[in-house]
Amino acid sequence: MSALLELAGIGISFGGLRAVDDLSFTVGEGQIVALIGPNGAGKTTVFNMITGVYRPNGGKILWYNHDITGFAPHRIARLGIMRTFQTIRLFSDMSVFENVRAGCHLRTRQHWWQGLAGLPSQRREEAEIADRTSDILKRLDLETVADERAIALPYGVQRRVELARTLIANPKLVILDEPAAGLNDRESAKLNETIFGIRDSGITVLLVEHDMNVVMNVTDHIVVINFGRKIAEGNAATIRNNQQVIEAYLGRDDDETEEAA
Amino acid sequence: MGTFIQQVINGLTVGGIYALIALGYTMVYGVLRLINFAHGDLCILGAFVGLTMLSGALGGGHPGPALVLLAFVVAVIAISVAGVALEFVAYRPLRKADRLAAVVSALGASMLIENGIMLIWGPEVRVFPSGLLPATTWHVAGASISFVEVMIIIVSVVLMAALYGFVNHTRFGTAIRAAAIDQDAARLMGINVNRVISSVFVIGPALGAVGGLFIGLYYREAYFTMGWTYGLNAFIAAIIGGIGNIPGAMLGGVLLGLFNAFAAGYVSSSWQNAITFALLIAILLIRPSGLLGERVAEKV
Amino acid sequence: MMRRTLPTAAIGAVLWAGCLALPIFLDSAWISIAAIFAIYAIVALSQDVVLGRAGLYDMGHAVYFGIGAYATAVLNVGFGWPILATLPVAIVGAALVGAVFAAPIIRLRGDYLLVATIGLNAIFVLAMRNDLGGLTGGSDGIPGLGVPSLFGLQIESQSALFWFDWVLLGVVLLVMRNLDRCELGRALRYLKQDQLAASTLGVDARRTKILAFALGAGLAGLAGTLFAVQISTVSPSSFVFTESVTLFAIVIVGGQGSIPGVLLGTALMFVVPQIFREFAQYRYFIFGIAMIAVMVLRPQGLWPRARLAR
Repeated sequence: MSALLELAGIGISFGGLRAVDDLSFTVGEGQIVALIGPNGAGKTTVFNMITGVYRPNGGKILWYNHDITGFAPHRIARLGIMRTFQTIRLFSDMSVFENVRAGCHLRTRQHWWQGLAGLPSQRREEAEIADRTSDILKRLDLETVADERAIALPYGVQRRVELARTLIANPKLVILDEPAAGLNDRESAKLNETIFGIRDSGITVLLVEHDMNVVMNVTDHIVVINFGRKIAEGNAATIRNNQQVIEAYLGRDDDETEEAA
Repeated sequence: MGTFIQQVINGLTVGGIYALIALGYTMVYGVLRLINFAHGDLCILGAFVGLTMLSGALGGGHPGPALVLLAFVVAVIAISVAGVALEFVAYRPLRKADRLAAVVSALGASMLIENGIMLIWGPEVRVFPSGLLPATTWHVAGASISFVEVMIIIVSVVLMAALYGFVNHTRFGTAIRAAAIDQDAARLMGINVNRVISSVFVIGPALGAVGGLFIGLYYREAYFTMGWTYGLNAFIAAIIGGIGNIPGAMLGGVLLGLFNAFAAGYVSSSWQNAITFALLIAILLIRPSGLLGERVAEKV
Repeated sequence: MMRRTLPTAAIGAVLWAGCLALPIFLDSAWISIAAIFAIYAIVALSQDVVLGRAGLYDMGHAVYFGIGAYATAVLNVGFGWPILATLPVAIVGAALVGAVFAAPIIRLRGDYLLVATIGLNAIFVLAMRNDLGGLTGGSDGIPGLGVPSLFGLQIESQSALFWFDWVLLGVVLLVMRNLDRCELGRALRYLKQDQLAASTLGVDARRTKILAFALGAGLAGLAGTLFAVQISTVSPSSFVFTESVTLFAIVIVGGQGSIPGVLLGTALMFVVPQIFREFAQYRYFIFGIAMIAVMVLRPQGLWPRARLAR
């Protein structure tokens, strides 16, 4: 297994608060890795650093052993790293089809002037993009809502739309921020299959999730953080029996059920 | 040395006026996040209302400070009413709409008031009558300072101090600050946000009317497009100080007044506006949130 | 997906072709109004590229219109270039200036960008008034432009100028429609709606926005040439801030990102005033009332962009 993504001692502070500190872990190619931890542990912050939304003020982020620390988000995307958001960020004015098609941005080869001139090659590419979008909509069971306004749909469907938008870009790594949040039981049960499906198509998965059913059943590797620091890592069995992890979650049972609901 | 002090005096006078007008921009922006493009025109409307009072009654034989005071009172009342009406008609219906809709509504209101002034008072420059205020002039270190200048500087300082005290040390002032930070949270805390917004459209135009009448008394003239020129300078002052920031508007006004006075003293006046804007753009690039920092919550 | 877009586009094309016959029915005053409509429609559409599609608050768009007009006037009157040869210079020159202006200020947030562009407009007008480099002729501007000649034909008559303007308007309309259907146009919409989401999909925000500015400025530059030819004189007063405000208002009043909306807005703001010439002094007063009324009653604009089109 070769390292796809490596975090080497990264950290970030917000106004004196050390949100993430000296965090290191590795995501191997073809793995499904989960980053878990209590609320406010800094999980989304880690994702924001990887995807270039925040710039870490310590440590390094390596992609195939190349330093990509502090790259702007669009450059990160260009490497083949795509993400979803905990607070779903779909384009509010657009249909499901348009939202998913947005994921094709990096795969288009047309130059702006070709588009403005409406050259035949550009027209052909437009048709290809439309086909590709239809395909992925079919794959994720979204074709019936293709023309609906995306943000008017139920939460679970919106999550699938956002996922489709990342997958259509053909990424090497997808980063999913709480993919099960807001899903009903049936959708949540299907999520495991979906995640395995992504991995089987050759895409590495890194996710933050509170739903332990998802985390324990799909992941190859789990990294646990609390107060911005790593407290454990290993496979599901190791983590389940780790004393520190149990302590971190103990007494928070109430919160946990609340979140799952 | 004499010219230097003279420029400082001129700068402080104009800066005081800018600051008074800038407060109206900054308070509205703080609460509504809207550039009230009509504010400068409201201020000049104040100058014209005052002018009518002053020149109309002059023939009646009551010239002098009492009449000037009366003109201020009438202008302040009239412009406050106009400000509240403006908010009610042109801005309130657009609070939930696309921000640009309110911007265009504000631009429309600006055209409406500016051209309304032209239709009522005519397109020509109107001269303020003389002999209203004492013509006393003091000489200090080679520079001179007139009664009007002293009056403008003192009244501006007093009004700004009063506003500062009101906003920071009264319950209603706290409500204004709270609504500027987060309207929804303020509403949940039981603050009547509509009343806060209306009050901002009373206070801002009231101060602006004073500023507008000061312009008239200082330059002894008024014309209908004046609101745009002075409004823009005042708005720039508000941005320089940090939009939404009340002390910032005061500081920005005074600094811009001084800057303009010195620029006019040492650089060709035909480039003066360009220099002001160049300064503004430079400040925006170096310190995008103004000198004292903006005081508006960014909603993502 | 073609089903949805085709009818409007087809109706538009037929309308445009029909308008080409206008000179047969109109007197010369109206032909010139119709020609000026085409010119301002191009500027308004170019403003829409920046404001309506990219969501960049540019309230100094008259600058690029002016640069195009001045480029043509200076090269034609001062250096004897034929008008048509100045056209590419006007387009490219305005686009370059747009890109150069945009590069530093593009990162400014909404209202600050708006204020910075107001500033650029003021600086531009002052530079022209103060006869920058001895080329721009000061407040009086540059009079006495020649007429374009195409394959030896002088485009001189009112009707010929009308056709010249309307053909170029047709080209610009085609470009705008293509913009709706290409990746650049979509990238602008992604950025306008959610810059963070767009960036994580790989949209280079800075580059794309500068490109939008340059494109909008270039089209405005094209219109500038047409304007200079139409009125055969160029002076600073045609490019003052009020013009920028009017262009800004056209886009918002008409409907952001909507081609028919922008054309309707242009007609209302530039053509209707011509009909009520005798009430000239009430013009802006009524404009003001109309702008407030339209926004309050139709905040999305008179003819908003069709939603959920593929």
